[in-house]
Amino acid sequence: MSSILQEIETEIAGLKTSVTKSNVGVVREIGDGVAKVEGLSDAMLNEMIEFPGGLFGLALNLEETEVGCVLLGSGENIKAGDEVKTTGRLLSVPVGKGLLGRVVNTLGEPLDGKGPIKADQFYPVEKIAPGIITRKSVSVPVQTGIMSIDAMIPIGRGQRELIIGDRATGKTTIAIDTIISQAKQNKAAEQGKLSGHKPIYCIYVSIGQKQSSVARTIKILEDAGAMEYTVIVNASASDSAVSQYLAPYAGCSIGEWFMDQGQDALIVFDDLSKQAVAYRQVSLVLKRPSGREAYPGDVFYLHSRLLERAARVNENYGGGSMTALPIVETQAGDVSAYIPTNVISITDGQIFLETDLFYQGIRPAISVGLSVSRVGSAAQTKAIKKVSGTTKLDLAQFRELQAFAQFGSDLDAATKQKLDRGARIVELFKQQQYQPKSLPIMVASLYAMQKGYFDNVPVDRIRECQGKLEEYLSTRKEALMDKLGNEKTLDNVETDLKTALEDFKASWK
Amino acid sequence: MKISKDAVRASRLLFRACFDASGRLHTSRVKRVVKLVGDKKPRNYMAILHSFQRLVRLELEKRTAIIESVTDLSGEMRERLRVDLQKKYGEDLTLNYFINPSLIGGMRVKVGSHVWDGSVRAKLQALGESLA
Repeated sequence: MSSILQEIETEIAGLKTSVTKSNVGVVREIGDGVAKVEGLSDAMLNEMIEFPGGLFGLALNLEETEVGCVLLGSGENIKAGDEVKTTGRLLSVPVGKGLLGRVVNTLGEPLDGKGPIKADQFYPVEKIAPGIITRKSVSVPVQTGIMSIDAMIPIGRGQRELIIGDRATGKTTIAIDTIISQAKQNKAAEQGKLSGHKPIYCIYVSIGQKQSSVARTIKILEDAGAMEYTVIVNASASDSAVSQYLAPYAGCSIGEWFMDQGQDALIVFDDLSKQAVAYRQVSLVLKRPSGREAYPGDVFYLHSRLLERAARVNENYGGGSMTALPIVETQAGDVSAYIPTNVISITDGQIFLETDLFYQGIRPAISVGLSVSRVGSAAQTKAIKKVSGTTKLDLAQFRELQAFAQFGSDLDAATKQKLDRGARIVELFKQQQYQPKSLPIMVASLYAMQKGYFDNVPVDRIRECQGKLEEYLSTRKEALMDKLGNEKTLDNVETDLKTALEDFKASWK
Repeated sequence: MKISKDAVRASRLLFRACFDASGRLHTSRVKRVVKLVGDKKPRNYMAILHSFQRLVRLELEKRTAIIESVTDLSGEMRERLRVDLQKKYGEDLTLNYFINPSLIGGMRVKVGSHVWDGSVRAKLQALGESLA
């Protein structure tokens, strides 16, 4: 007991001598979530400014006699004449493993009612990306569990792959599938079924979305058991434009912590076009000069500095990585609009989703011609590379021939064969949402396609046959699949796989 | 009132002209500026004067120390404060004393936007924040 008394005494003694020096200002005008503050002569750019009632603002405009502060909350109780003060701190968020399974806002405050966040550290929201010395090229894959992506547009850890498409074409679904797939792999690795797998922790940043969509996403992730590896940063449509503009940076800081610990992280920004709109709003009320489509001049830098923070760090610096999957919504399939072109040029490739394909029932509606991964092929596993080498070419040729084939039926054997193969690949790549596939299953299906096991199956029964094949492989050939999943190469299992496929084909009708 | 950019710029130029080489604001120059602008009535002269007034006010605030305490300070105390503050902010600093019982105890000194808060109220607030 006496030690407590002593502590209190020292605290009091410390308080006695303390005179706090601070820099204050007076609110001159307030509106649209922006306060003009007179004074604050020592304010730094992006510094947190304390308003009465525990509200914080961010100093975004430093002018000769006043400071433009955006409020990080509702400014209903702030009035002209209120005294504000600098804090000497930059905006920062809690980071650490304690955030896994949680839903937080831009400031890292919990939104899920599961109690306070147990943070390991605080990271500033705006950070400079890792430099060239610390980086390493992408070499380890992120298995998305979506066959068409893993086969044709592979994503590596540390890559930035844009998901772009019109509204309701399944952009978010691809991101969620990828998160679920990571959770499945992480779980398998924890149970010792997947050797040499480094877990990937996921961060899903939702920007300007309806609360109902976010709630649905959380439900899907919970049902799939993926929430325990996922952090959700939510700046919904009803949150202030400032929170929406800052949410990706906050999410990025949470991901960077994992990267700094030598772990792997995956971050989804859903979506950056809404973030650009929020930033445009903030810039316009701050009276910054506007440019094309009224976006401010630094809208490119807004996205480039964010996505540059996704990196793969070399072993000397921990060997962690952060993969970014930004999402951008296009209007009527126009990829040449301002924000889409910006983000396409920043990222290491894009997955383009088409409305037409979506309504033809080809889901995920990935446009093979326009989608590309610039660095991912270096990270593709040997097994997938071997079985999918020509898939993209086959599909491209199929699309070309399909146009001709509509005119007449007199086709030579080679063309017909190409058309048949193409139609089957398209069928094979159709996949139910929220059901990512494991690596060995994908390899086996692609192998069966490559070696012609599906050639005598009617096109409309391909999916049924594939489903049965998957069932057969995962129930009857578990050992073979485990071996394939661990070795990640076909060298030692090809003969076994062949016999398994032949056995299956003999039994299937 | 809405003050245009041009008016702000003009007032800033006038304001700069009121300083001498040592960076001190001259009251005589300020008076002359106000009189001249009032007489000649250039375009937006009201806006210019309002903006000019604001700049002068901010400058004067920088040169004025507001000292709040719960009880009236003794002469010796005031002298010590004056010497200390003038050493820090220059000879032309004016000191204004106020009595503010809401501080509970101690003293609060404000010069421009700098505040030294040694009041009991601030300490209690800091304690409250650290406990919350």
